[in-house]
Amino acid sequence: MKPQEPIPHNYSIRRLNMIFALSSLVLLAVTGLMVGYDYIRGWKWFQLEFMRMQQERISQEIGVAQAEENKQQLADLDAQDRKNEIELARHRDQYLSAQKELDAIEGDHYRADQDYRFVKANLDAQRYITEAAVVQHLPDAPQQQAEFERQTKHLADLQLTLQESTRKRDAAKANVDQWLKKIKDAEDKKKELTASVDLLNKQLGTVDMKPFSTNWILSQPLLDFVNPVIKIDQVVLNDLSIDMNYMSVPRVDRCQTCHRAIDTPGWESKTEAARLSKELQQKLDAYQIPQEKRKETEERIAQLKRIQDAPNDILNPWRTHPKLDLYVGSASVHPLLEYGCTVCHRGQDRATEFGRAGHTPASPRMEHRWAERTALSAGFFPLPRDFEQRHWGYEENEFIETPMYPRHYYEAGCIKCHSGQMGVDRGDDITKAEQTIEIYGCYACHKIANWRFTDLRKPGPDLGGIAEKTTPEWAFRWISEPHNFRATTRMPSFFYQRNMIDPNVVPPQERAHNVKLQDAEIHAIVSFLFDKSTHRPWSPPGAGDAARGKQLVGSVGCMGCHIDTEQVKDEKTGQIRLAKREDFPLERNYGFNLTGVGTKANPAWIYNWVKNPKAYYADAPMPSLRLTDQEAADVTAYLVTMQKPAFMNTPIRPPDAQAVHDLAKGYLINTLSDVEAEAKLRSMTQHDQLVYLGQRSIEKYGCYSCHNIKGFEGLKPIGTELTVEGSKALHLFDFGFMNDEQWKNEDGTTEHVIHTVPSWVYNKLRNPRIYDDRRTKVYNDKLKMPNFHLSPEEARRIAMVVVGLTKEKVAENRMAGRDARTRLIEEGRKRVSQHNCRACHVVDGRGRDSIASTIADANFLPPDLSPEGARAQSPFLFNFLKDPTVMKIRPWVSVRMPTFHFSDEEANTLVTFFAEAGKGQQFETSRGMNPPAQNVAIGKQVFTMMRCTQCHGTTPVNPENPPVPNTADSTSLAPNLTLARMRLRHEWISDWIRRPNEMINGTRMPTNFPRDAATGGFQSPLAMAIDTPPFAQYKATLLPLFNGDEKELKRTMGDAVALTDYLRDYIWSIGITQMRTAAPGETVPAIAMPQPSLPPPTAPALKSTRNQRGAAGNSGGPGR
Amino acid sequence: MKKFVSLLFATTLVFSIACGKGKEASKEDQGEDDETQTATVATNTASTAPAAAAPAAAVSADAATLTGMVKFEGAAPKMASIQMSADPYCQSQHGSAPAMEEDAVVGSAGELANVFVYIKDIKGNFPAPTTPVTIEQKGCQYHPHVNAVMVGQPLDIKNDDNTLHNIHALPAVNSQFNEGQPVQGMVSTKKLDKAEMTPFKIKCDVHGWMKSYMAVMPHPFYAVSQTNGTFTIPNLPPGSYTVVAWHEKYGQQEQKVTVGAKESKALSFTFKG
Ligand SMILES: [Cu+2]
Repeated sequence: MKPQEPIPHNYSIRRLNMIFALSSLVLLAVTGLMVGYDYIRGWKWFQLEFMRMQQERISQEIGVAQAEENKQQLADLDAQDRKNEIELARHRDQYLSAQKELDAIEGDHYRADQDYRFVKANLDAQRYITEAAVVQHLPDAPQQQAEFERQTKHLADLQLTLQESTRKRDAAKANVDQWLKKIKDAEDKKKELTASVDLLNKQLGTVDMKPFSTNWILSQPLLDFVNPVIKIDQVVLNDLSIDMNYMSVPRVDRCQTCHRAIDTPGWESKTEAARLSKELQQKLDAYQIPQEKRKETEERIAQLKRIQDAPNDILNPWRTHPKLDLYVGSASVHPLLEYGCTVCHRGQDRATEFGRAGHTPASPRMEHRWAERTALSAGFFPLPRDFEQRHWGYEENEFIETPMYPRHYYEAGCIKCHSGQMGVDRGDDITKAEQTIEIYGCYACHKIANWRFTDLRKPGPDLGGIAEKTTPEWAFRWISEPHNFRATTRMPSFFYQRNMIDPNVVPPQERAHNVKLQDAEIHAIVSFLFDKSTHRPWSPPGAGDAARGKQLVGSVGCMGCHIDTEQVKDEKTGQIRLAKREDFPLERNYGFNLTGVGTKANPAWIYNWVKNPKAYYADAPMPSLRLTDQEAADVTAYLVTMQKPAFMNTPIRPPDAQAVHDLAKGYLINTLSDVEAEAKLRSMTQHDQLVYLGQRSIEKYGCYSCHNIKGFEGLKPIGTELTVEGSKALHLFDFGFMNDEQWKNEDGTTEHVIHTVPSWVYNKLRNPRIYDDRRTKVYNDKLKMPNFHLSPEEARRIAMVVVGLTKEKVAENRMAGRDARTRLIEEGRKRVSQHNCRACHVVDGRGRDSIASTIADANFLPPDLSPEGARAQSPFLFNFLKDPTVMKIRPWVSVRMPTFHFSDEEANTLVTFFAEAGKGQQFETSRGMNPPAQNVAIGKQVFTMMRCTQCHGTTPVNPENPPVPNTADSTSLAPNLTLARMRLRHEWISDWIRRPNEMINGTRMPTNFPRDAATGGFQSPLAMAIDTPPFAQYKATLLPLFNGDEKELKRTMGDAVALTDYLRDYIWSIGITQMRTAAPGETVPAIAMPQPSLPPPTAPALKSTRNQRGAAGNSGGPGR
Repeated sequence: MKKFVSLLFATTLVFSIACGKGKEASKEDQGEDDETQTATVATNTASTAPAAAAPAAAVSADAATLTGMVKFEGAAPKMASIQMSADPYCQSQHGSAPAMEEDAVVGSAGELANVFVYIKDIKGNFPAPTTPVTIEQKGCQYHPHVNAVMVGQPLDIKNDDNTLHNIHALPAVNSQFNEGQPVQGMVSTKKLDKAEMTPFKIKCDVHGWMKSYMAVMPHPFYAVSQTNGTFTIPNLPPGSYTVVAWHEKYGQQEQKVTVGAKESKALSFTFKG
């Protein structure tokens, strides 16, 4: 064969080998790097650290067990254990000999049994032979007969032997069993003695990471691929998916990878442990914890006490969730396996690194500590050394779509699922936050397409009749700075704000110019509003008594929604200072602060307004308190005395003609050429220019968003829509020059903007103009959001809701309160909130703080409506809501239920809410019931015996106007019971008599059938009393009603349930059956518009021409 | 390659060493995550501990006695008579002389009665007597007007009147109760399980004028001043104490006192109108 020619190569094998060798090395090195990188992933450190902590904890527990005071006990245990061992050994011997004995006896028994069986078989054969012999008259019959008898006798003997043997065997067996049981008991005892130590040791084994321990070996590089000890923990949530643009992927929460103890009690922080143990102790003391759980609770308290006494506090991320009863815990409503973590907290679910998980700092200090690095790790990932310093490796990351909510904003996460509810049960923070938004009316300027914030009224009053109410001078000063007039007002400040006049921010030249422009705009707005205002003639009040008026304002219920002072005593310093909104219950800020109302409004307007607010504008939120003309005059006389003369002394600069011209032109040239605009302006008087500019300024500032202003109907609200603001990416927020900057607020506090969305929103709310700092902007481009002078707490709450409004969607089945019944209830709750019912009533267990702050005696407060659904009949409630004069239940109470002029629909919504929330039937037929005469007769006697008459009237009265009971003291007692049949639900009456204090804590209705402390059953005072001489006459009357059955009578007198049912039947029998129905949906008496014109009050500075009076009537639109 | 391996090894080493070490976060750092958590640590004072099951505080031979006098300075307020016409029964019980208000009972020489005097700061466990304290409702008034029980001591409330009373207790610490007593001679027994040293009000809603005050004490060192203004707190262990005198209308005062063994010390309190 011809030797093959070497195939020519274009490459050198040698070089190739080199390359191959090199690339193999590189590959190996990369693999090694990968393994190494994986081995030192950050999250592993957290697990190792937690294992170390666990190890420490367990060793400590073992240590505690071996502590000095336990030594003795342990020694005892040891001794017992030894004794036990010896006993066990002895038992074993006993057992063995017993077993041996049993074996021998078993043998005997077997033999006896066998003998018996054989003989019995023989006997059967013999019986046959004998019988056959006898029947066939065989000759050997007698012998056979004898043989049979002999064998029978033998069998009987054997049977006796067998029986004896069986008895012996059973005894031996019992003996063996006895020793067996003793052995088992002893072994159990031994186990028990060592169980806790064993358990601890076992636990210790699982967390042991000592070199060359099993765990340690399993965790070595490469070995850890097989069966790692340290591994990622995750919860997969298929139906709480994440929207990845056009695709939904399941949520995979890996938070537990580092937050190891999140669902394990016992790793709380010291402060949490203190709070929890206090809470549990209180519950324990109040017997709110069931008997079988008490021991468990006591152990938990002891554990929490140990945490508080420990030298070191447990730090995040190893802490237990502070609200295990609500979240994460398996028995909570949001168990970890069903809800995970990121549904509420947000954050990047799959991330296992601190920075990438979306952790968000709450303060600059926190941010800086988190982000700090030791020199070694700079630029790479954090090293254990960093972690120990709690430098977690935070980096600002604008591209994390769902950063976590920082501390103080946690409850923002509730909104996602609870947006269909007015309040979140046990989510006090978010409930209050949403209420804050409602009361400030944020939704008016910023559309929030969310059930909670839609279908609400405009927060400000209608301005269509402003000239009827006040003067341009007042209005000018008011718009300039509402806070100068009232410290607690919710009207925000639009003008002379930080970005316009603050000397630290705006150069002096520009400042002077801005002031002129701002002056001009305010003059313009005032001119426009007064120019367009109606001028209805309101009848003036008659002579009023201010003292009587003051008394009325303090007693009929005004103080539920209004505040009448601006001076409060500071709780900390004890000094009198200017009031803040937060000094009062939220509900009391609902109406305006009454101080200065005499300076603001004229007497005729006040008089007509307090008489019937809806006459001024139909959408007025204030209800009618049905003041008589004289009462209204008295109230007016009082309110007129509330003056703030100093406010009217601040000078008003006249509008600068050039400024008005420039601003107006600025708008005109949007549609006209410069020349046309100039010509147009020349053709206008200054007043016309002002009115034109006013209209444009109202558009610019969005006044119409909160106030009804004629000509602006249907305009879109001025502010940015906030429906999904919480999902807006960080880079879309304009921080201006304020990133990581401190700034000083007008109230003297220093704030610090950090580069997170919550921080941006919070600082924006604290002062809406700060992001203009150091920026050069033309006048009309400057930020316009007005300043509400929010306190840090208010700003935080509002910001919390804003960041909670996200586009993240949750499957319908995970949304809270979406069933039809709950929706009905929530609709009612919305009405309750809109009409501020909680100012005067307790609804759903909350409210009444407002009115209670002005009425000292709890017995004269409006009722607690918590049990209203179970209590009131729906037809009554409907009529009463529509027109509260249909029945006066407690005529002596001076607070009046106002007339809200509810529509049928609204009244129905409320009635449905109460019935459903009280789990009552919406409609029931009890009113027509007629209790049997016998029950009524018995009930009447019980009624007398229980002395109910001492407080309750039983003679029919006019339900609309019952007489006030004539008692010597000013207090009055209890409702007239003839009204009960029209008002109360049949079943509720007896239930109420049995347990009034359980239904309404603190009620004046005494508990007449106290519960037995041991059994919880009701006790009756009549059980004993019926046999005493003073009750002889009652007994005599009652006996025939029980057919003379004294035993039955006595039994009944001790039966609280039966007695209360008789009482109910009696009360039912005396009830009236007719009641005036509510006045049909009252139409508001509109005041006729006269044609003759009234000169509007004008200020010198606002010299205006006579204006045409606009269209007559009520400019308040339907609004809803 | 070798370099790599050693680098890897080094990193591993650093890592394992770091893992083995304890936390070193500095003290000031530790608090930071709690910047605004305001929950306060429950302080379990001796006053809330139940008095039962403690070694009986036997009267020691050294026991001191605290006596004293409460005076009222200034013109003695005139107590109005009570209008009882709302309940004819009540009125009939005060046929000859109408009942008087008891807001401030001042004697001719300014002795102030119904002042509740107690030691504020004595530590230790004191067993509650099992004999009940009784409040009587007689002639539509409470007798006594000011009183105290020890924690866990039974409180009997008796209705001697042939009319309805309800005992509406308004404690701040203990749970409130409101029981009707329609039957003459009826006794309701209550136990108050928490110390409440500042007396709370007990009222009757049927008879607006009826009121009484009750304290719940963790120890037996208290007294109510008599109509002659005197009070006596016996069997007091020697020591330094703060003595509080409380009056429903004139507020409360404190005095420091130190008593030696077997000493008998006299205090005097003066209230101004
Ligand atoms: Cu009474």
